[in-house]
Amino acid sequence: MINVNPLSIPNETQRNHSGYEHLPLLRASGLWFNYDHQGHAVEGVHLEIKPGWVTMILGRSGSGKTTLLKLLGNILKPVRGEIQIFKGMPNEKIPVAYIPQSLGLVRNMTTLDNTLMGALGYTGTFRSLAGFFPKEVKGDAQRILTDLGLWDKRQRKIFHLSGGERQRVAIARALMRKPSLILADEFVSQLDPVTALEVLTMVRTLARGGISLLITTHDVGLVTKYADRLIIMMEGRIIYDDAPTNIPPEEMLELMR
Amino acid sequence: MKMRKLSFEVVGLGLVIVLNFVFLFEMNLLDCAQWLSALKRMVIFAGDLFPPRWDILPTVGPALWETIKISFCGTSLGFVLSVPLAFGATTVLFHRKIAYVIRFLLGGIRTIPSILWGVLFVVAFGFGASAGTLGIAFYTVGYLAKLYYEAFEAVDHEVVEAVRATGCNRLQLFRFAILPESANTIISQIFFMFEYNIRSSTIMGFVGAGGIGYYLLGYLQMLQYQHLLTALLATLLVVMMIDYLSLKLRSWVVVAVPKS
Repeated sequence: MINVNPLSIPNETQRNHSGYEHLPLLRASGLWFNYDHQGHAVEGVHLEIKPGWVTMILGRSGSGKTTLLKLLGNILKPVRGEIQIFKGMPNEKIPVAYIPQSLGLVRNMTTLDNTLMGALGYTGTFRSLAGFFPKEVKGDAQRILTDLGLWDKRQRKIFHLSGGERQRVAIARALMRKPSLILADEFVSQLDPVTALEVLTMVRTLARGGISLLITTHDVGLVTKYADRLIIMMEGRIIYDDAPTNIPPEEMLELMR
Repeated sequence: MKMRKLSFEVVGLGLVIVLNFVFLFEMNLLDCAQWLSALKRMVIFAGDLFPPRWDILPTVGPALWETIKISFCGTSLGFVLSVPLAFGATTVLFHRKIAYVIRFLLGGIRTIPSILWGVLFVVAFGFGASAGTLGIAFYTVGYLAKLYYEAFEAVDHEVVEAVRATGCNRLQLFRFAILPESANTIISQIFFMFEYNIRSSTIMGFVGAGGIGYYLLGYLQMLQYQHLLTALLATLLVVMMIDYLSLKLRSWVVVAVPKS
């Protein structure tokens, strides 16, 4: 079991931990993207991400939610529009971490190796190539893996881990970047409900620590339980952007059909 | 629609069969008299092969050992050179223009058979095992680098994206995502290449590039068929032993990684 605080949605006072909450973390303005002239995958999206929020993007397959995530994660370059990332947050070293749908873990390397990979962006090339990571980095990895209940499994290779454990390794790797924002694509859609609950509870704990999460999903139930803010996408556009409580679940389901 | 597809396949197969008959006829291989006289000559030749001359083993043994050394060092050297070339030929890591220039170069290396590389290096380094080793190494580079860059390209793009998203550079991406994800292919292809090279290095001696081939050709030209049979039997034994050893080693080294 993961050792986390009981589930609770942070209220306004809880969110005011950093003193930077009046600033957005990230602002995307007028984003356009298309894959090889096959129509537009993302059409003129405007978006601001605030610190300490769990935002979920709901949409059918092909609605552009993964593309939007990849644009925000700097994996795809927008055809038009720009993304600003605001510094000054407590953990701004490398502000955005990205977790793909299949998690993208290196399967025949260990939990610890995969976690340490999160530090590649700020570890010297030759040290890391030889497999030597600085003491602080190793310390961070130990702390994060212990928090996520994975320290005992640090020498296990990924293909020996369960689905929930792999999910946590992916979170650990993302946390090693010391992010202010974690982008996660279809994060818990392949997990059983109990494990999904564990992982999302952990996500909420992270959010209370000031990290924002942007998670794509097609699971309406998940949104109503865990999101502070809901974005619904359809055909590359944002058609809803508000608290999930302001839209009846039936209407969400209707939009997903 | 189904009918048309079926008839297309039948026509294709028919064409292949007809072409084979035409070409075989041109080569006199459909002539029964030709086959009979060939058979007669083969029987006479087979008689000349026996009995084997075991007393030449002390001569053939060291030459065979040299053949093993040629393919061992040639494979190793080829491997060492092929990894950086495959690294540069991977479009996931480098711009297409750079990758394609390297691929073109590798294609060029592959067009020249190892025996011709052997001739080239005999010209440069003189007769002996050094020429054979370099010849084998060059051929190995052409093949291994191609097999490797194809394996590197086939690494799950989400793994590449996720590791790249950590802000790492090309070398780090290669070391932490692409190499470990394609480790099994890398290792099993080395063994495959070594087995293959043992066979090609047996004929390196034909052009004076060292090893058993020198004796094989010599015995053949001097019509010493009993010597030839002995050398061939020894070569066969060694090749089979190495194949077996390599198979055992490969299954021991390569770990099965479940797909999911």
